[in-house]
Amino acid sequence: MREITLSQAVNEALAEEMRRDETVFILGEDVAEAGTPFKVLSGLVEEFGTERVLDTPISEPGFVGLAVGAAMTGARPVVDLMFGDFIYLVMDQLCNQAAKQHYMSGGKLSVPMVLRTNMGATRRSAAQHSQSLQALVAHIPGLKVAMPSSAYEAKGLMKTAIRDNNPVVIFEDKLMYQDKAPVPEEEYLIPFGEANVKREGTDITLIATSSMVQVAEKAAEILSNEGIEAEVIDPRTIVPLDEATLLESVRKTSRAIVIDEGHQSYGVTAEIASRLNEKAFYHLDAPVLRMGAMDVPVPFSPALEDITVPTPEGVVENARKLCAGELIHAA
Amino acid sequence: MAKAKAKTNTEEYLRMYRQMVRIRTFEDNANQLYLSAKMPGLTHMYSGEEAVAVGICEALTDDDRITSTHRGHGHCVAKGAEFKEMFCELLGKEEGYCRGKGGSMHIADQSHGNLGANAIVGGSMGIATGSALRAKLQGKDDVTVCFFGDGATAQGLWYEVMNMAALWNLPVIYACENNGYSEYTRTDEIAAGSITARAEAFGIEAHKVDGQDVLAVNELTQKLVARCRKGEGPFFIELETYRYHGHHVGDINREYYRAKDEEKDWRENRDPITRFRAYLVEQGIASEDDIEAMNAEIEKDAAEAVAYAEAAPYPDVSEVDMHVYAD
Amino acid sequence: MPHDVTMPQLGMAQDAGKIVSWLKSPGDAVAKGDALFEVETDKATMEVEAQADGFLTGVSASAGEDVPVGAVIARISDSAEDDDPAPAAPATEAGSEPAPDDLPEGHPVTMPQLGMAQDSGVLVSWQKSPGDAVAADDVLFEVETDKSTMEVEAGRDGFLAATLAEAGEDVPVGEAVAIISAEAPDTPVARSRAASSAPPPAAPEPAKGDDTPAAPPKAKPPSPTPPVPSTTGRVLASPKARRLALEQGLDLSRLAEAGYPQPFHVRDIETLKTLPDATPAPQGATASRRLVAETATDGLPGFMAWAAEAHGLTDADAILAGLAAASLADPGPVAVERHGQSRTYAGPAARALSQVAESDAAPALTLRDLRGSPLRTVEMGGEDTPVVTLTGGSAGLTITLECSPSQMDAQTAIRLLTEFAGRVEQPLRHLL
Repeated sequence: MREITLSQAVNEALAEEMRRDETVFILGEDVAEAGTPFKVLSGLVEEFGTERVLDTPISEPGFVGLAVGAAMTGARPVVDLMFGDFIYLVMDQLCNQAAKQHYMSGGKLSVPMVLRTNMGATRRSAAQHSQSLQALVAHIPGLKVAMPSSAYEAKGLMKTAIRDNNPVVIFEDKLMYQDKAPVPEEEYLIPFGEANVKREGTDITLIATSSMVQVAEKAAEILSNEGIEAEVIDPRTIVPLDEATLLESVRKTSRAIVIDEGHQSYGVTAEIASRLNEKAFYHLDAPVLRMGAMDVPVPFSPALEDITVPTPEGVVENARKLCAGELIHAA
Repeated sequence: MAKAKAKTNTEEYLRMYRQMVRIRTFEDNANQLYLSAKMPGLTHMYSGEEAVAVGICEALTDDDRITSTHRGHGHCVAKGAEFKEMFCELLGKEEGYCRGKGGSMHIADQSHGNLGANAIVGGSMGIATGSALRAKLQGKDDVTVCFFGDGATAQGLWYEVMNMAALWNLPVIYACENNGYSEYTRTDEIAAGSITARAEAFGIEAHKVDGQDVLAVNELTQKLVARCRKGEGPFFIELETYRYHGHHVGDINREYYRAKDEEKDWRENRDPITRFRAYLVEQGIASEDDIEAMNAEIEKDAAEAVAYAEAAPYPDVSEVDMHVYAD
Repeated sequence: MPHDVTMPQLGMAQDAGKIVSWLKSPGDAVAKGDALFEVETDKATMEVEAQADGFLTGVSASAGEDVPVGAVIARISDSAEDDDPAPAAPATEAGSEPAPDDLPEGHPVTMPQLGMAQDSGVLVSWQKSPGDAVAADDVLFEVETDKSTMEVEAGRDGFLAATLAEAGEDVPVGEAVAIISAEAPDTPVARSRAASSAPPPAAPEPAKGDDTPAAPPKAKPPSPTPPVPSTTGRVLASPKARRLALEQGLDLSRLAEAGYPQPFHVRDIETLKTLPDATPAPQGATASRRLVAETATDGLPGFMAWAAEAHGLTDADAILAGLAAASLADPGPVAVERHGQSRTYAGPAARALSQVAESDAAPALTLRDLRGSPLRTVEMGGEDTPVVTLTGGSAGLTITLECSPSQMDAQTAIRLLTEFAGRVEQPLRHLL
């Protein structure tokens, strides 16, 4: 199968959906000729013109608000939010407006829009361009949240998001834009709420999102050499969450580590760990561990930044302890 | 009173009068429901501002969209909503426009192009402008009117969306209902400079109109809507008007921000319904008897709708997690 | 049609308003918009206008009174001589509040505080009547909080001179609910709290039409006490290891006694299985009787649902214990064991399942419920009491009784298992 980058996969998904449905359009800062700073959208404006690939002023609340209104009246906008950190700027439009219209109107209005943005540290971009804020939006009923872990997922999830009748936020890992993965030529969609078992194992389940899927896979490789077989699962969407697949795996392995690049406290890892605890308690042979980013603003210095996010070595160490029955964090 | 056009407008004039009385009657009943502790939550009365909603909405079709505010009952009635579904919504009943999930501050009536009331001040400015962007992208000729109050002119969102609307000539009309008070504060205490000048700074044509004169409002809006349809938007209108009640029902001791004499003056000398009624009689468009009969019929409609809503069932509890996500 | 004049709701958190003055007199003609009366709330003073033309009639609240919002205080009628009965007087009448010396002298008994976060208690019932002589340890009344129901004693000898709340009322902790006097009172007082306390009752829920049922009573069922932890010392083990040990009838504490390091995990279960038999079972507890019954169906789930629906009996273990106790020749406390948790229940000898309650008594029988587990056959050996084990099957249940001859003679064991199997198959038989 051919291999393309995550960037190309997103670009292909958008182009295919824009050809299929003329109500789909893109808006955001420097999306047209510039094709975004990451060049993800390069070439789209040539095919679809500046009306459907619309450069906006640097007015994040403004253009997200426009997308909400356009979506409520019959368009399918895809908003490009240049950095995930800018989510804070658009919270009212996303959480008070987009997320609630369908409910507040008793089902009469809906907001079929996609907000694509990114996440991920270790790009030396410091505290306001490196955050992974998926937990913030996953907390809000009415929003769906997708977290592609490779070019394959990025394309399939984007196409599903555009066809979904709800506001969907997609977080792409900005370190992964140039990573290649096999992506079929023929069209495919990845349904929301279907986790992907990336690697089967019997001793411990590693549940990882987006950037952390690679970390978990590397850890599983190392663990396998030590005789510990880890199962690696990528939920692909955290809202909706494929609880059944996660629970089935944990009931089999009796141990789990949940890994996500958002801050650990009150985060995605906390939510998933808590559900495993509630629903698979009598199958647990060890406490479910969370591994998220440290609870610090992302530092600039490489010496500091690299230790704030989970690494394969850290996952291996924790997995070893759990499998050895060491009492972790207990008095 | 702005100049009347031809006599052929009789029907339109009577309809405008009727719609203004419907709003006033709706609000009188809503106020009573609230005061008698039959209506939960909090609510904001539109009484006094009827000529704004009616003058504008009578210049629109069902395909044209509006976005509304926390003080939104008037916009909703003016855009064609029914009393029954509105009172049901106010009381949180199953047959309400939003199945009881929105209430007074979130009534939406998609069938008449009402994209819903917004309880975040200025919160719908993006939605209205986005609706206009969609119309332009899809080559439709519908127009969107964004209602908001003078208080909302302090929100940054407005300046972001006006900028884009002006850049892209979007068919949106920003209708600022300046009732002189931003919640419990006089507008001149929160707004520097001129409000119309703010729109003009983006190159947006701005108008100021007497919001108590339904014909003046309607005439101006008709012209601006027609120009929007031709791609000449956006526009800004500042409508000078007045709210008879406090910021919300229960805001009763308000002399610290507003004198009783001032309220009396607006009610007695500038009431949009009284003025238009006198005009209709003077022009021979309707007799006092005709008007009394119309008023009585509207009061009866309202009383029946209230009784219906009071007796109507609440939504089943199973609906609580329905409509979080669309299918 | 007369229009009710009500106390207006002026804010979200306002329950009542005080009538400052009436601006119209009964019988006066009024026009829509006329100011009728002046109201004061915590926020402000306002004039309330007439909502219709007519005559002011049926005025039932006077200046100075606190009136709950929504309460009808007058009418506007078509004639001044409207002979509709006046609306009932509002519940709170600051003006008629009795002076403190209206009450007999004596020692107040107050609503006890039973928990840190408890603000009030519901008075369930009075056990004495006003005027009764009481002793210090006599039960005066019964109180229910979110945690429990308890009886409150008089605390001193004397006479119950006054009761200041009625059954069903919620009383803030620390507030007097009774007065005990030294001498027999001449005129004992019985009063409801609503009538005797100054703060007005909560406003009616908004938007309550005639079609709306009244708010449910505030009574809260006492929550069950938390499961009693094992008294034999704590063993640290993973949830899964505990579950497997239970399912296989293994005792994790034997691993601890043998010196293996805790916490125990699934792999330790294998070690536990290989341990030599523990110290001999207590004398006489060696099982030598093992009886097995099979039923065609499991009648329990249906019966539990019926008991919950028809009688509000929601503690399935209590019902199970009741069925087992009734099968004993000499009914006694029954311990129900499931998922490693054990609760003991006792009830009266009569077959009243509703009266089976948790108990601290030593059980006469252990009922081990392994329905839902993969286990089908058990042979566990002797234990401190006779043990009845329920295991599931494709349709019915397998019921195993294990006991030592010293615990139960043959006839008693046969009767126990036969009776119990019958009850499990057709629980309704229990009621006949």
